[in-house]
Amino acid sequence: MMAFIRPRLRKPLGIALAGTVFAGAWALRGGDAWQLSIAMVVTVLVSAITTYVRAGEDNDEGALAGSRADERQKLLSLRSRALGWNFAMVAAFIGVTVGVAVKATWWWPFLVILAVADFAYLLGLSNYGVAQEDPADDVGPRPPARSPAS
Amino acid sequence: MRNRVREQRTQQEMSQAELAAALGVSRQTVISIESGRYLPSLPLAFTIARFFGLTVDKMFDPDEEEAGT
Repeated sequence: MMAFIRPRLRKPLGIALAGTVFAGAWALRGGDAWQLSIAMVVTVLVSAITTYVRAGEDNDEGALAGSRADERQKLLSLRSRALGWNFAMVAAFIGVTVGVAVKATWWWPFLVILAVADFAYLLGLSNYGVAQEDPADDVGPRPPARSPAS
Repeated sequence: MRNRVREQRTQQEMSQAELAAALGVSRQTVISIESGRYLPSLPLAFTIARFFGLTVDKMFDPDEEEAGT
């Protein structure tokens, strides 16, 4: 489906879609939350337009925002995501530890984040071939070469 | 690792943007390769070497340090 969408539009549309769904959740909440929902839609639209404009720039951020990154830019993005994942894990660990220490009721969502991240990490190892190593073909010494005369 | 990308590009009187377009990468990546900040993948190294009509080991020399690094 993504192939039918112009690369430059993919990230802005993703932001707009995710933001609209989240704003819809606030609208469904009822009460005065609809005001927050409208503010969120405006914020998301501004963010999507900003991303679209950035996607037109001739730099690494523009290439990533415009879904036209080459191998170095993809590597940059991957390493940045890994850094973000590490920070999120430390934050979740601090959250669950503090939550348990102060006998709070909100400690378990942090544990869910840790569990999901650990499961995703193991899934990644499995998907990307760690468990599919081929056996080494150099086990044991080679038989000695026989002389043609023997 | 030293490479001869800048040397070959200037010999052919190409700009970094023209080389980037020919290789299918960004101008920023050509700049990073030339300055030695980024080591290209093996497929890209072959593409670069073939583009200039050289072998990979002529294009990239692991025994020589990049000047200024």
